[in-house]
Amino acid sequence: MNVLYFLIPLALLLLAGAVWAFFWAVGSGQFDDLETPAVRIIMDDDTKPPETPDT
Amino acid sequence: MSASACFHCALPVDPRDQYHVEIDGQQRTVCCPGCKAVAELIRDTGMSNYYAMRDAPQPGAGRPADDATEWQIYDREDMLAAFAESGDGTAEATIYVGGMYCAACSWLIETTMARVTGMVSADINPVTHRLRVSWNIDDIGLGGILATLANLGYDPQPLAPESAARPELLEQRAALKRLLVASLGMMQVMMFAVGLYAGDFQGMEPNMQLFLRWVSFAVTTPVVLYAARPFFRSAWRGVMARAPGMDLPVSIAVAAAYFGSTYMTITGGQTTWFDSVVMFVFFLTLGRFLEMRARHRSIDRSTALSNVLPNTVTRCGEDGQTTIPSSQLVAGDVVLVRPGESIAADGILVDGETAVDEALLTGEATPKSKSIGDPALAGSINLDSMIQLRVEATGSDTTLGTISRMSERARYARPTYVQIADRIASYIVVAILIVAAAVGTFWYITAPDRAFVVTLSVLVVTCPCALALATPAAFAAAGTRLAQLRLLVTNGNAIEVLARSTRILFDKTGTVTRGTPVIEEIEVLDDKFDEKQCLRIAAALETVSTHPIASAFRASENDVTIHDQSVAVGNGVSGTIDNQVWRLGRASFAGAARAATVAAEAAPTNSATGVYLGVEGRLVARFSISDELREDAADTISHLAGLGLQVGLISGDGEAAVQHTAGKLGIADYHANCSPEDKLEIIRTAQQNGETVIMVGDGINDAPVLAGADASIAPAHGALLAQTNADIVLVGDALQPLLLGILLAKQTIRVVKQNLSWAIVYNAAALPLAALGYVPPWAAAIGMSASSLIVVLNALRISRFGAP
Repeated sequence: MNVLYFLIPLALLLLAGAVWAFFWAVGSGQFDDLETPAVRIIMDDDTKPPETPDT
Repeated sequence: MSASACFHCALPVDPRDQYHVEIDGQQRTVCCPGCKAVAELIRDTGMSNYYAMRDAPQPGAGRPADDATEWQIYDREDMLAAFAESGDGTAEATIYVGGMYCAACSWLIETTMARVTGMVSADINPVTHRLRVSWNIDDIGLGGILATLANLGYDPQPLAPESAARPELLEQRAALKRLLVASLGMMQVMMFAVGLYAGDFQGMEPNMQLFLRWVSFAVTTPVVLYAARPFFRSAWRGVMARAPGMDLPVSIAVAAAYFGSTYMTITGGQTTWFDSVVMFVFFLTLGRFLEMRARHRSIDRSTALSNVLPNTVTRCGEDGQTTIPSSQLVAGDVVLVRPGESIAADGILVDGETAVDEALLTGEATPKSKSIGDPALAGSINLDSMIQLRVEATGSDTTLGTISRMSERARYARPTYVQIADRIASYIVVAILIVAAAVGTFWYITAPDRAFVVTLSVLVVTCPCALALATPAAFAAAGTRLAQLRLLVTNGNAIEVLARSTRILFDKTGTVTRGTPVIEEIEVLDDKFDEKQCLRIAAALETVSTHPIASAFRASENDVTIHDQSVAVGNGVSGTIDNQVWRLGRASFAGAARAATVAAEAAPTNSATGVYLGVEGRLVARFSISDELREDAADTISHLAGLGLQVGLISGDGEAAVQHTAGKLGIADYHANCSPEDKLEIIRTAQQNGETVIMVGDGINDAPVLAGADASIAPAHGALLAQTNADIVLVGDALQPLLLGILLAKQTIRVVKQNLSWAIVYNAAALPLAALGYVPPWAAAIGMSASSLIVVLNALRISRFGAP
C-alpha cells in the first residue's frame, strides 16, 4: 500500500492542474455562455448555398 | 401550423395576397414581400436548416419591420462612440436582437454574422438576446452589421456600452470557479473518507490514517477558504449589522467542523469531519449558483427596458435637423417625431397634431389625440402625423423611468420566501455538531472505547443531505417541468405561492384577449349596400391609417379604387370613391346628422368599439371592433374556478367592454376603469383579507401591479418590463399552461412536504438509535444515502407531471 504515498500526491497535482486549467478557461470567457453550447452540437453548419438560386 | 400560416413568420396569410418561396424543393407560402425576402435570403445563404431546427414560431416573430430604419447613420463617428468601444482598427459593440425566440435563431445569426466581411467575432447569448460583435472598422460599419441583422428579419438595437451586463458576468465567473473547487474538493475528500471509514473496520496502519487525514485537510482547506468565502463574508456582515442571517450557522458549522477536524488530525484524535465539511459547502455552493443564474436572467430582462425607447432622435436646432443618439438629448431640445416612431423623452408638443398610443404606459388601448401644449410621454408611439416636441425630461427622469423604478422598489420591498431548506439544513448542522459532541462526551465518560464509533454513526446518520435536498430537488424538477409546459419560472418562490393561491386576477387586454382587434359584427344601416361591399370600402379607406383598429380591416379584401385619402386625427379616415366622399370613424365624423339616432338604435348591447362608415353624410354601416378572446380563455378560467380559486378580471378599459368580456368568460368579479393604483389597491385589499393573489397581466403599466401581487405571470409577448417583474413568464398563445402550472405547483408542495416529513422522521428515528450505539457506521452510511435517494426519486416524479 506504500505506493499510495506517491499516487495520492500525484493525484492532487493533477487535480491542481485541472483547477488551474478551469480557472484559465473561465477567465478567458469560455464559460460566459452556458446556454448555447448545449444546442450548438445539433446544428449543421456545413450546408452549402445552392449553386443556382432561383430568385 | 395550419396551411394558411406564413412559413416564415407564422402570421395568417391573406389568401388573396400571398407570396411563395421554394425551400428544400418545396413551395412554401409566406405572407408578405418582407417575409419572402428574408426566407429567400436564408435559403440562398444555405441556411434553410434554420426552418428545420427552430421551435414553432410565435406568430409575427422574424417578420421584417415594415419601415426600413436608416441604419447608415450608425456608421457615423458620434454614433460609433455612443454604442461601441473601438481601438486598434476594430470596434466592439453589444446589440440587443429583438425577435429571437429559439436556439435556431442564434445559430442563424451567428452563422450569418461570421460570413460578414470584416467580422472578427460574433457571439450571441440566446437567453439574454445579446449579440457581442467585434469587427474591423475599415471593412464594415456598425450600420452595415445592424442592416444585416434587420435583413434577416430581426430587430437589432445597439446597447450603450455601460448597459452591457459586466458585473453579472464577473459574478458568474467567480461563482463557477467556487463551484468547481467545491465539487472537485468534495469528490476527492469523499474518496479519502471511504478509505478512512474502511480503515475503521478493517484496521489501517496509523501512518496511512494520518496521511489520509492530512491529505483531506489539504484538499478541504481551499474549499473552506475559497469556495465557502461568500458564506463567511455574508455571516460577518450579518453580525456587524446585528441581524445575523442564515449564513451565520452555516459559517459556524463549517468553521467548527473544519477546525475541529484539523485539531483532531494534529493531536491524532479519533475522527475527522472533513467529508462533512466539503459536502456541506458543495451543496450550498450549488444552491447559490443556481439561484444566482435565475437572478441574472431577471436582471437581463430589466436592462431591456431601454429597448422600448428609440436609440436615435432627430433634433431640430439652429443648424437644422440632425440625428443624434438619444443619450445626448437634454431638456429644452426640440425633437422631431415621425408617425410610427416611439417618443424618446417626456415633452410638450410645440408643433403638429397627432394621436399617440400610450398603451405601454397606461394600458389604454385607445389612442389619445394630442395638440400643441399637450404633454407626451417617453415610450408612447406617435401614430398619425409628424410632430415636434420640446423635451422636458430624459432617461430615468421620464414617466417610463419612474414606473420602472417604482416596480424595482416594489420588487425588493416584497417579503420574499427565503430559502427555507438552506436555513433548516444549517441549523441542523449546528444541532448535529452539538448532539454529536454531547453524545461523544457521554460515551467518553461511560464507555470510552465505543465513543468514537458511536459519534461517527451519529454524524453520518444525521447528515442533513435529505433535508437539504428535499426542497431544492422538488423545486428544480418543478421548474424544468414548468418550462416544458411553457411556463418559465424566474422566481423560485412563485411555485410555492401558486400552490397556496386563493385568488387569480387577470388583466384584460393582451392577457385574456389576444391584443389584436378583429371585426366582431357588421351592422348594415343602409339597404342599398351589403356587408361585403361595406367591408371592402372600409378596408380601402383604412389602408392609410396606422391606428391599431385599422389592423382589424387589413385581413379584408380591398380592390376598390380610392382617391384623396386623408386621416382626421382622433376622428377617422376619409376618401373619394366614384366621386362620393366616404368616411370611416366616429359616428359624428362619418355621418353627423344621424349620429344621435343611430347611437340610440345601436344601444351598447356589447362592449365592442363602434366604427361607422358613412357616405356624403349618411351612415351606411356600423362595425363592431373588439379584441378577440384567446381560444382557451373561457375553458381555462372555468377550470381555475373549479380548483376553488376566486377568478377576477381587472382592466383599465371602460365598464361596458370589461363587463362584456367578463360575461363571455364567466367571471362574476370584474373591475373596470382601473388605474395601476386601483389595481394595486384591489390586490392589497385581498391580501389584507388573508388571500394569496396571483396577477396575470402584461404591459408596462402593470409592472408595479405585478410586483405587488404574491405571484405574477406575464404572457411572453407583453412589454419587456412586465416580464422583468413577473415571477413566471407564459410562453405562447394559450392560457392552458396556467392551469397545469397551478396543479403542478400543488403537486410540488405535496412532494416537498412528503420529502421533509420523510427526512425528519428518518433523522428522528435514526438519531436516538445511533446515539444509543445500535447503528454501526456502515448501516448509518447506507441509511443516509438511501434517505437522500428516496427524496430525490420522489422529487423526480414531478418532472413527469401531466405526461400521459
